[in-house]
Amino acid sequence: MILKIGKKIITNKDMQIKINHIAKIEGHTGFMASVIKGDVKSAKFEVQEGIRLIEGILIGRHYKDMPVIAQRICGICPVVHNLTSIKAIENAMKIEVTSETEKLRAVMEHAQFIHSHALHLFFLSLADFLDIENDLQLVKEYPEETKKAVKIREYGMELIKVIGGRVVHPLTNEVGGFKKVPTLEELKQLILKGEETLPIALELAAFFQTIKTPNFSRPTEYVCLKTKGEYAIYDGDVTSNKGLFVDVQHFEDNFHEFQRPKEIIKRVKRDGKTSYMVGAIARVNNNHEKLSSAAQKYLKSLNFNLPDYNPFHNVLYQMVEVVHCVEDSVKLLKELTHMDLANAITKDYVVRQGSAAAAVEAPRGTLYYWVDIDPKGYIKNVNIITPTAQFLTHLEDDIAAFIPGIIEKDEKAMERKMRAFIRAYDPCISCAVH
Amino acid sequence: MTTEIIQEIKKPKIAIVSLTSCEGCQFALLDLGEKFLEAMSLVEMVDFRLLEDEEDAGESIDIGFVEGNPMTAANKKTLLELRKRSKLLVVIGNCAAMGGIPEIRNYHEGKQTVKHVYKYIQGIETEEVQEVDNFVKVDFTFPGCPITGEEFLKYFPILLANVKGGGKLPTILDSPVCTECRAKGNRCLLLDKKPCFGPMILGGCDAVCPTARMGCQGCRGLRPTGNVKAMKMALKQMMTDEEFENTTEIYGLKDDIEDWEKNNNK
Repeated sequence: MILKIGKKIITNKDMQIKINHIAKIEGHTGFMASVIKGDVKSAKFEVQEGIRLIEGILIGRHYKDMPVIAQRICGICPVVHNLTSIKAIENAMKIEVTSETEKLRAVMEHAQFIHSHALHLFFLSLADFLDIENDLQLVKEYPEETKKAVKIREYGMELIKVIGGRVVHPLTNEVGGFKKVPTLEELKQLILKGEETLPIALELAAFFQTIKTPNFSRPTEYVCLKTKGEYAIYDGDVTSNKGLFVDVQHFEDNFHEFQRPKEIIKRVKRDGKTSYMVGAIARVNNNHEKLSSAAQKYLKSLNFNLPDYNPFHNVLYQMVEVVHCVEDSVKLLKELTHMDLANAITKDYVVRQGSAAAAVEAPRGTLYYWVDIDPKGYIKNVNIITPTAQFLTHLEDDIAAFIPGIIEKDEKAMERKMRAFIRAYDPCISCAVH
Repeated sequence: MTTEIIQEIKKPKIAIVSLTSCEGCQFALLDLGEKFLEAMSLVEMVDFRLLEDEEDAGESIDIGFVEGNPMTAANKKTLLELRKRSKLLVVIGNCAAMGGIPEIRNYHEGKQTVKHVYKYIQGIETEEVQEVDNFVKVDFTFPGCPITGEEFLKYFPILLANVKGGGKLPTILDSPVCTECRAKGNRCLLLDKKPCFGPMILGGCDAVCPTARMGCQGCRGLRPTGNVKAMKMALKQMMTDEEFENTTEIYGLKDDIEDWEKNNNK
């Protein structure tokens, strides 16, 4: 397939790269690329997911079903789908919630980042940087680090379990507030656990500092939420490193969702033209000055020059966010101990017609919902734009730029590198094809 | 060394396969952490795409676990192959067992639903959503959306004993969600006029929803002696028939209730 003459590489044939199934990501997808005389002519995902038509089945249903159904888009990040649908409905029906409710939700969001990131950076992605094929082997070779990753995940899961009632598909959140709130004693236990977890997170972070990531860089637009005074996770306006700053209600004026014939993942382009990136790498690049002190210190120790356009570093930025979320969640929990949590219990509100958007930062990037509700509270229309749908085209553009640099390796090594590249992005195909 | 190898050979082989779903049931397992790894140390994992990159060679296995709905032609092929090579086929979760949230479309616009979502519908598979047991024989079901991790740990050894020495297959006790709910000291939601399907639904979930003050919506399915008629009577004061029906659609309970009513003459 490839002839090597001295240092010069001549490809004598067109090259078809096909990965049938990419394991260790959420959902099912393959990948195809064709290279002609060293040039990448196409790089494309082949999604192997059934279509659940979540938006379609929500139409005509009562708004109260929406957070319950929508969170079932994803088993890793149900919290963000649940909260974004709740926020969109509240915006549409003009329902105000208390600061206690917002803070409890923010803790759940932090928890979602912690356990999703810990799963991805350790169990899904790390093996790629250590050349290990199987996680059971990873667990054997790195028992101490495994324990740390498990402990960090457990803290994130415990937060969601105590506040949300269950880790996969939480139960207590609803439009207007919470059905049930944690006790003061439970909050104190969580604070203790969070304080124990921070040094563990820093130790795992130090281990991640030693992994070697390949060199690759392609300048791009980083999009995420931004808000005053804090590292935006639960709320904010939409911003980018190219000067964008708009209210979430104008998201669809700037980002255009479209479908290509025969494709089941919809794509999103900035102003309908260019691909862009969301997720940990985008957030840290745009908002790093708002990270918690321990996270800032760790970020500095990584010696990356910001803006940083190496997608492999996404894994390390997830580690930065784990440190941030552990430290910041403890701060939020402490604030909650001085508040009256009874104020977070849902009060009566008026059901009325309206339409509005909402967004949160999901572990993989900005998650956007828009909903239109009739006067009786039934859903007339809904749109959901997930992080993976937003970055899929960007990932394909990146890989197309990445392939020429690895084309001289043998085929197996090349495939491994590509899988590592795809996994560093942390795509969630279940979310993308909802 | 030799004994280690012999032990390795003797271990039952299992696979955990995922069809169209949120994969939340796999995470309910993974989230058990150490306990899950301990349980898995008793078996040889042949296929678990969430954790390993190695290609599955398609060998014979003892237990095939399947999550998700066989919605696409590829899903159906995967399911049939899994059945063929497994001594036991075990269903995990509501999507596989009862259709799950995707089944909502069967109750409404069916094939038309796709038009709300996609502009180009040519070449897009949107067949009727059907449960796993419409395609293959199912030996045991872990119900729920998602499954209950602890319940998995409870029955997993019994399943292993079955494939090793032919012990009996487990059965889930015919007991309502209410049994565990009461044991937890929860105040009954029905007393507060909040709809809850607990009395007619199969327990074993630790009453996780009513404990969070969320009414049971039936993701684990009707229990064998559940009484739909009595349940509907009790709920009459708190929800309309239409609301009842809509709620039974969320987890694919509606067709089971229709069957019950047919068999019990309404």
